Order: sequence, then structure tokens, then C-alpha cells
Amino acid sequence: MAEKNKLRQLKELLLHEDRDEIALLQAKITALEDIIEKQEKLSNRVDPIIDKKLKQYTEDIPEKLGPTITESLKNEIANSKDQVVDALYPIIGKMIKKYIQQEFKILSEKINTQLQKSFSFKNWKRKFKSKISGIEEDSFVMQELAKTEIQEIFIIEKDSGILIANFSKSNTIDKDVLSGMLTAIKSFVEEAFKTGNDNLELIEYGLYNIHIQNFNSYYFAVVAHGVFDSSYKGKLEYELLNFAEKNLGKENNKNLSIKLAEYFNNDDL
Amino acid sequence: MTTSKKIVLLGHFGVGKTSIIRKFVTNEFSTDYKVTIGVHILKKEIPVTTTDNISLIIWDLEGTDNVDLINKSYLLGAHSFIYVYDITRPVTFSNLEENILKLNEKFPNTLLKTVANKIDLVEDINDEKYKDTLLKTDFTSSAKTGENIEVLFDNIAKELLL
Repeated sequence: MAEKNKLRQLKELLLHEDRDEIALLQAKITALEDIIEKQEKLSNRVDPIIDKKLKQYTEDIPEKLGPTITESLKNEIANSKDQVVDALYPIIGKMIKKYIQQEFKILSEKINTQLQKSFSFKNWKRKFKSKISGIEEDSFVMQELAKTEIQEIFIIEKDSGILIANFSKSNTIDKDVLSGMLTAIKSFVEEAFKTGNDNLELIEYGLYNIHIQNFNSYYFAVVAHGVFDSSYKGKLEYELLNFAEKNLGKENNKNLSIKLAEYFNNDDL
Repeated sequence: MTTSKKIVLLGHFGVGKTSIIRKFVTNEFSTDYKVTIGVHILKKEIPVTTTDNISLIIWDLEGTDNVDLINKSYLLGAHSFIYVYDITRPVTFSNLEENILKLNEKFPNTLLKTVANKIDLVEDINDEKYKDTLLKTDFTSSAKTGENIEVLFDNIAKELLL
């Protein structure tokens, strides 16, 4: 018994420090287990680190991955243009359709407003005009809403396609090249169909109309925006004839562009 | 003062008509061959004297081996024709004389210049085999190196304003 006590005392003396360390470690492990096992406690510790890293990552994305993504997208689009167009076509189509529907809605509302003002003098005048001319009142309303505007007038030498004079509300295109191309298109159509002495008289694109009026050695090409009906066409033809009679001839071809601008600057024919 | 003149380039397919025009107008050359369909029109304004400029409206027609097949209205009103052939391909100048004759008959008052293009591909331009053809040729040119391109159009511009 005495020996046992002695051995225990010896153990205590020899292993005292180790036991203290083990106890300390056990306490730490227990604390860690407690943190890991209890999600809330773990979250409190880990979440701020993850949040910080995520924030940093988000901030770094445009700088670090931006060029790579842009380059990849560029390559992808360049390599598969047709697929991109195919994919975008229906979306763009829907957008355009929606836009047109919206524009028609606005137009329809405007027409209704115009018609509702039935006691105005303008409206009675329109009704009277409609009765006399036999043209429906709606057409007159449309005319008032989508007023025709002359954007460009070209006087072009018939054979060579060389521009003689020009009046333009914008200066974005090369008038000489356009005159040449118009002449080429006109020549191509007139030759292709071989219908005798018929001439190309109208080119339509979108909301624009190019009215072509032929004379002996030159022709007029008038780019107009808006409603281009037979009534407007008739007036325009008359004004072009009038202009040609007054200003075009061997002796008075000088300053034609200025004369054109003076004559047609007002949209009301 | 600026005067506009219509210049029409014609000749067989692939002789370098478009390349000549591109070199002259934008000083560019590409080996990519894109066939011209119908007609393409470009413009360049050049000074002829200290006071006078000339605006060259250049019509680049699609290639054809027979000038009779060209839409006649493309040729009407032209102030000058440039008939281009490829010096390395005899087929492009085998009917040169015949086509020149037709053009002269139909448009007797239009200035006509013949051009042997692609001379950069020829080792010796003085070789006997080119002698006969070059006698009927006004200019030799290379759209690739730009040799004689400016000279060709300058010459035409000056003759037109005489």
C-alpha cells in the first residue's frame, strides 16, 4: 500500500506539467468542438471572413475577368455571327413590333382627337374638302398628322449620273456618289425590264420615298418623308415642272442649288 | 472651280479594276478578291491647276469579257473609259483590240485608256511575249505597289480639262 502511494506520488511529480498541458488542450478542443458544432457560433466567426472575401471578389471581377469575358464574347460573336443574328432576330422583331403597335396606338388616339373636334372650322373645312374631292376624310387627317417633308432634291444629268444641283436638309451623304448610284439603279431597272420608254418613277424605303421625274437630258430625284399620296405627287410634279421651266436651260443653269433651296425650302407645296 | 467627270472602268473579271480604284481613292490594297456585282461608284477630287479641281466619279463595273454585254446605260455619258487587263492572264487581253474597237465605234468622243495591270507579278516587262500587247496599251500599272495609278488618273484628268 505504501508502495502504491509512493508510485502515485512519483507519477504526480513526474507528469504534473504534462497533465496540465493535456487539460489545457482538452479545454481548447472542447471550445473548438463547441464552435464547430454550433452553426450559429461558427457563422459568427466565419461569415465576416467570407463576406470580406466575397466583397473583394465582386470588386475584382470587372478588372480581373472583364477583359477575358469581353474577349471571349467578341470571339464567340465573330465566330458565330449567324447564330447571334438568329438569336437576336426574334427579340429585335418583337421590340420593333411593340414599338410599331405603340406608335399606331398614339396615331389612332391623335386621329380620334382630331375627329372629335368636330365643331372646329378646320374640321368642317376638311369634311367639305372630302365631299368635294371624294377622298375619305381619314386620308386628310392622316395627311395632316404625317405631313410630307422634302429632305433632299437632286437634279442629275440623265446619262452620266453627274449631279447638276442639290438641295439638302442634311449633309451626311456624298451627293455625287448618291447621284451616280441612283442613276445606276434607275438604269438597271429600266434596262432589265425592257418595257420600252417606261421610266423608274418611285423608290420606297421605310418612311421615305424617292420621287423621280424625268426630263430630256436630266432628271429630278426628290427624297420625301411622310405620306406620299397621289395628291402630293401631283403637286410636287407641278412644282418641279414649274421650277425647271423657270430655272433650267442652257443659259440659266448657274446657282441652281441656291435656287432649289429658295424654291423648296418651304415644305408646303 | 470643280468640274465633275464620269470615269468608267471595264475589263474582264479579276483584272484588278476595283483594286486600282481602291488604291487611287483610299490608298488601300487587299489580296482578298471580292467580285463586283453590277456597279460600284466612288469619288475622288483632285487638283488639276492651282485654281481648278476635277471631281472624278468613278464607276467600277462588274467584269465581262465582252463590252456588248455591259448595260449600255452604265457607259452613257462617260467622259473616259479605262479598259483594264491582267498582264499575267492572256485571256484577259486576247480580245482587247475587238473591245476597244467596239467602244470607239459606240462612243467616239469618249477618252479611252488601256491599262495592263498586275505588272508587279511580271519578271521582265520587256520580254518579247508582252511586246505586241503593250504596243496597244497606254499604261502599265500595279494596284498592289501603286505604280502608275496616280499617273493614270492625273493624266486622264488633265486630258479631260484640256
